Amino acid sequence: MDRNYLSVTALGSIISARLTDPSLRNVWVAGELSDVRISGGHCYMELADKDKATGRVSARIRGAIWANVFARLAAKFGHATGRQIATGLKVMVCGTVSYHPAFGITFVITDIDPSYTMGEVERRRREILEQLQKDGVLEMNRSLPWNTPTLRVAVISAPGAAGYGDFINQLYSNHLRLRFTVRLFAATMQGDRTVPSVMAALTEIAADVDSWDCVVLIRGGGATTDLLSFDDYSLASAVAQFPVPVIVGIGHERDITVLDYVAAIRVKTPTAAAEYLISKGTECLDRLKRLGADILSCSNDMIAGCRTRLAYCEGALPSIALNSVTAARQHIDRGVLSLATLGSRRIMPQLTHIEAVGRAIATAANATVARRFEDLESKSLILNVLSPVSTLKRGYTITRINGHAVTSAEDIPLGASIITSFADGEITSTVTKTPKS
Amino acid sequence: MTDTQYPNTMTDRQLTPISELTYTQAISELEAILQTMQSDKCDIDKLTLLTRRATELITFCRARLTATDEELRAILADLQ
Repeated sequence: MDRNYLSVTALGSIISARLTDPSLRNVWVAGELSDVRISGGHCYMELADKDKATGRVSARIRGAIWANVFARLAAKFGHATGRQIATGLKVMVCGTVSYHPAFGITFVITDIDPSYTMGEVERRRREILEQLQKDGVLEMNRSLPWNTPTLRVAVISAPGAAGYGDFINQLYSNHLRLRFTVRLFAATMQGDRTVPSVMAALTEIAADVDSWDCVVLIRGGGATTDLLSFDDYSLASAVAQFPVPVIVGIGHERDITVLDYVAAIRVKTPTAAAEYLISKGTECLDRLKRLGADILSCSNDMIAGCRTRLAYCEGALPSIALNSVTAARQHIDRGVLSLATLGSRRIMPQLTHIEAVGRAIATAANATVARRFEDLESKSLILNVLSPVSTLKRGYTITRINGHAVTSAEDIPLGASIITSFADGEITSTVTKTPKS
Repeated sequence: MTDTQYPNTMTDRQLTPISELTYTQAISELEAILQTMQSDKCDIDKLTLLTRRATELITFCRARLTATDEELRAILADLQ
């Protein structure tokens, strides 16, 4: 065979030359990301279109964001959407088709439009939320106080749906045996009938709202697109203004609807809705348990306190009596002692004084007697000297006439009879001569 | 109950029958009893009365929260 052919390199060169066409440069392309991976700071991916009915890829092209651009684009995208550039996202990117001999054709991305990803749905969602905010109802359901306990539950769900079964099983298999009262308000949870049928169920519950502590709106899985039905202004407004708290469990983590923003509680699954109610019931039981325990310990403390006080009194009673007797005795002893002290303190000086006086009197008396005695003795000495007897003994005589002592010769008459006394006797004489004669 | 102190003059006659209370009222009364018992003003003579009332209230609240075996069976039977 003698046929003209090209080497791969040569083919590549031709392709490369064609790629200078302006329609392939800085062109905006929208598609879904898949096989996103980051390596050496560069981000590699596949950009694809999928068939809406089958979900199969109908077209794809390899894409790349080089490291020098990727950091900036990732930041821009993350800031606007709150997400990372990742598989599954629908994106609108700007890039240039380039050819590399070794790697083939790559769409080299240089810019991204986050608003596209946020999408029509999200934009509509925001518009609804903004309207609810303007209406002043956005926070209403979330601000409602919860009835305690939260046991009477009105459920809006499709009858026989797996999600409803999960919810009921979870709710009634709680080991605490919480006494839930559940009633199903059947509604269509997907398709065009969703909004009117959920609204009708809400109206029915609202008519007898005092019988219910909360509303649980659940749906068991389903396609993400089905959730679009719930992004409805009138339904969101009704839930926001519902007079008892609404728990919404209509989608999984990623599938956020407007209802998730207005409902009092948002959970991922029907099972999680049941768990939330069980946890509220558990809180009530725990509070009751704490109160019971506190009251028990209070009364125990009080009884123990009284017992201690009583025991103290019982113990103290005998010793109190004894102590009073002892105290009284001591009081008396002290009285006696002080009396004695008092006596001795007052009497002793008196006694001493009396004794002193007595002694002084005795001394004085003795002295007087002695003096008198001496006096007497001296007088008796004088008396002895002066006594006639002693005079007589010395040779003197006493002459008497008619019994009277005569001291002068003149007094004696002549012829008188005189008596002369001597110490040892008397003589009688007759006077024969006188000085006168 | 506006007064945090459980009524000092409280007698059995003045108490609301428990069956007429709401759960919230019962819990509030329990808390008031606890507060009274924790205060210095509680006297031992009232202890029996308070504890008995508290026990009744707790039993009542627990019964409101939880179902008996039979009730559970009945509920589950209704579901199936």
